[in-house]
Amino acid sequence: MGYEWDFTVVFREFDLLILGLVNTLKVTGLALVFGVPLGLLLAIARLYGSWPFRIPVVVLIEFLRATPPIAQLFWFFFALPILIGVAIDPFRASVLTFSLQSSAFFAEVFRGGIVSIERGQWEAAKAIGMNRAQALHRVILPQAVKRMTPAFFERAIELLKTTTLVSTISYADLLYQANTIAQSTYRYLEVFTITAGIYFIVIFACSIAVRRLERHMARTGETTAH
Amino acid sequence: MDYAWDFSSLLTNGTMLLIGLRNTLALWLTSLLLGFFFGGFVGAARYARNRFLNWPASAFIEVFRNTPVLVQIMWFFFAFPILSPLDIDAFTAAALALTLNTTAFAAEIYRGGIQSIHKGQWEAGQALGMSYSQQMTRIILPQAIRRMIPAFMNRAVELMKMTALASTVAYGELMYQAKTISTISFNPIEMYTGVGLIFFVMIFPIALFVQRLERRLRSQADT
Repeated sequence: MGYEWDFTVVFREFDLLILGLVNTLKVTGLALVFGVPLGLLLAIARLYGSWPFRIPVVVLIEFLRATPPIAQLFWFFFALPILIGVAIDPFRASVLTFSLQSSAFFAEVFRGGIVSIERGQWEAAKAIGMNRAQALHRVILPQAVKRMTPAFFERAIELLKTTTLVSTISYADLLYQANTIAQSTYRYLEVFTITAGIYFIVIFACSIAVRRLERHMARTGETTAH
Repeated sequence: MDYAWDFSSLLTNGTMLLIGLRNTLALWLTSLLLGFFFGGFVGAARYARNRFLNWPASAFIEVFRNTPVLVQIMWFFFAFPILSPLDIDAFTAAALALTLNTTAFAAEIYRGGIQSIHKGQWEAGQALGMSYSQQMTRIILPQAIRRMIPAFMNRAVELMKMTALASTVAYGELMYQAKTISTISFNPIEMYTGVGLIFFVMIFPIALFVQRLERRLRSQADT
């Protein structure tokens, strides 16, 4: 092939990549902070809301799950600001998009966890005088959350992978930094290979941790097969 | 807030959007068919006892499952051409990345499906004097494939969403066409809303069908 690899440029700019990784984790973290509680609310609304409440929630969840995340991101970055007349910077658009996007998926994880709990648990809670909210909060959710832990972390890993899209609206995440370095040094091969390597290390480590957790929970019988 | 929506621009740019739709479907079908096809071989290699088959297959699967698909597309578009003697256009780069990505996920579906079949089924085949390949094609696969169908359809849905990423390397699929039109005619609201709806119309029926199918398979398994 005759191509001379030269990784020195990548290592010279390595702190830029690390800075990008920090931003990647920042968007992922914030999307989790907003997306998980919102997901729980959506799940409860979908399961127990009255129909005028339930229908918009179902539409929102299904729409967010059945459209490409990049279309959502572009909508929130390019379309929404015109609609509401307020400029939205790339960082806010990213956090907004991925909070909403992941909340739809987390809602389904929560819902799956909640409906997997046997009806006897509800009846037992009712028998000792709890109302529905108390039963959900004290009896059902603690058990459901335990069961859905692996699915929850799998979703979080998906989210981490999806946040690479923020580079397309110029938010300085890891992929964006890689693009910048590659364009200024013309070392596309080295820069993108190293960048893929960084993503792999972070994501693979998370995946291994989740698999361990799954195996541990399967052994102790704390999870339903899914 | 008093923005005047004007969806007629979707119709005036209908031809461009149709080209985008055709390109989206071309990329989707190519990656889907090739990915599911090669996934069988990689899955079999991953399942094999032989270390020289098993190890590379596992490495391949883990790399493609544990890196963002956008990074894979970028790598095949910007980095791979430096190594490859052939010219690689946007479609080839995107199709390569998405095919290999789908191969990795499909391999795990095949493996999971085959492993989910009870060992007694193999033994029963053996007791009837069947060879390994006969057991596989006549007893195991017919049962396993039924169980794999929902997972494959979910993959098809995920892949459809992923094709929108090819817009980042200027492949003229739906998302890219929407972006181009909206910069020319200043109508990002209608364009991105419209494209979102088009994707929804294509994806949601499949997703709904999978849900139904899963429920039916589950209730069959219970009885």
